[in-house]
Amino acid sequence: MWIFEYRELIKILTISDLKVKYQSSVLGFAWSLLNPLLMMLVLYLVFSNVFKANQDNFALYLLIGIVSWRFLAIGSSASMNAVVGKPSLVTKIYIPRQVLVMSVVLSSLISSILEFLVLVPLLIILGAGISPYILLFPFIHLIYFLIVYGLSLILAALYVYYRDLNQIWDVLIQIGFFLSPIVYPLSTVPPQYLDYYLLNPVTALIQMYREVLLYHQLPGLRNLALSLAVGLLLLAAGSAIFKRLERRFAEEI
Amino acid sequence: MALPYTIICSGLNRLNPAKSSSGRGADNNAIVAEGISKKFRIPKEKKLTIFEHLTGLLGRGANSYDEFMALRDVSFTVKHGETFGVIGPNGCGKSTLLKLLAGVLYPDSGRIQINGKIAPFLELGVGFQPELSARDNVYLYGAIMGLSHREVERRYEEIMDFAELRRFENMKLRNFSSGMYVRLAFATAIQTNPDVLLVDEVLSVGDESFQKKCEEKIGEIRRAGKTILLVSHSLPMVRSLCSRCLLLNRGEMVALGKTGEVLAEYERMRAGGR
Repeated sequence: MWIFEYRELIKILTISDLKVKYQSSVLGFAWSLLNPLLMMLVLYLVFSNVFKANQDNFALYLLIGIVSWRFLAIGSSASMNAVVGKPSLVTKIYIPRQVLVMSVVLSSLISSILEFLVLVPLLIILGAGISPYILLFPFIHLIYFLIVYGLSLILAALYVYYRDLNQIWDVLIQIGFFLSPIVYPLSTVPPQYLDYYLLNPVTALIQMYREVLLYHQLPGLRNLALSLAVGLLLLAAGSAIFKRLERRFAEEI
Repeated sequence: MALPYTIICSGLNRLNPAKSSSGRGADNNAIVAEGISKKFRIPKEKKLTIFEHLTGLLGRGANSYDEFMALRDVSFTVKHGETFGVIGPNGCGKSTLLKLLAGVLYPDSGRIQINGKIAPFLELGVGFQPELSARDNVYLYGAIMGLSHREVERRYEEIMDFAELRRFENMKLRNFSSGMYVRLAFATAIQTNPDVLLVDEVLSVGDESFQKKCEEKIGEIRRAGKTILLVSHSLPMVRSLCSRCLLLNRGEMVALGKTGEVLAEYERMRAGGR
């Protein structure tokens, strides 16, 4: 199995990716945490004053949504450079190329976990408290990882051939942000669209994060099943597509 | 020594030990290549975006690239413990063949099977980071070659001794001379303990004494019963090391057999003005 065989390389590449991300400035790590907080603040002010959103614990509601979303947004965008950004490891030597995608997604996963960790004291400070259900967080995050990794395999492989994919993906991520219940409650979705709306696996994930972190309850079974199914499907599809497209990587890069 | 296992070189899952069903009879072969062809597409204009692909469809249609046959129907086998040479003029497809065997490129047709752990020495020092110290680079390069942290740790002393770079182990690689760079790379790469070595003229680097050391090391590996596939322009080296050879010209097999005969054929081919 390539993951086991090349675990050392995955580890080294992940760490160096994190170093690049955080070392560029003294505030590097702080910035990556300030970013979601500031975004939460802006959205909080806009939505609680202009749109009069009256969700309980709206700040935490927003923050969980934003931090969840960032894993997909940042992870998938960064993954496009995973293969293209390391040409010598593709054209001059053979390594399983999934290693490159895996290490980028792992680095995004670690960033995401750190952001969630900062969320924990905020849960207490802002009065939501924590409950044993928080222990389910790793399982939900693991499912999310499958989704992001599967998607990243597809994006990284396609990006080798289509270099404007990142532009298109940026727009799709923007659209996805508003198609997920991050800044508004689910109840504002018109009922006739709700069935389609709920097919979005990220919606299911965000709901589950809110359930275990904010509402102190078990995640809904439907959401769990849906996100796990999508995760496994994306992993299978992503691996298959990546393996097919990988054949000409060395020529196209 | 690591247990020998089979790699079916589909280029996809090279590290999965193959099921022993199909290739049992060919087990004394380290490398089997059957009718491999490789075609490169040379685009008349490079299309790199979806936008260009879409606008290209409106224009001249799909066939906007030239095809170039880098290899055509090449077949050969290399037995375990054999040192096999690949020779031919520039552009004959030697490097393409090596990249196919290494799994960097994927053949358009044909089958490649490699039995055993493979170490492709296509280029030394791939992935070296100039900003890291020599020590860190040894670990990085070892990882690229598929070694675990502990395996590199165990061989670290040997690597540094062989490279004669112990004094510089904490120096950043960007301060290294090109000779030191190659020595470090070769010393690390050789520690992967491969069953099959693919060597692409890397030995023509470094100073004379190090070259000699490399050749000795290769000889040592050869005597240890490992398989070596050597791509070289140096005919004396091929003559002294290889028992059998493959001669390629313009992607096609010209001769395959005993080194002496193939070299003679090569001389004739060159005399005949290609």
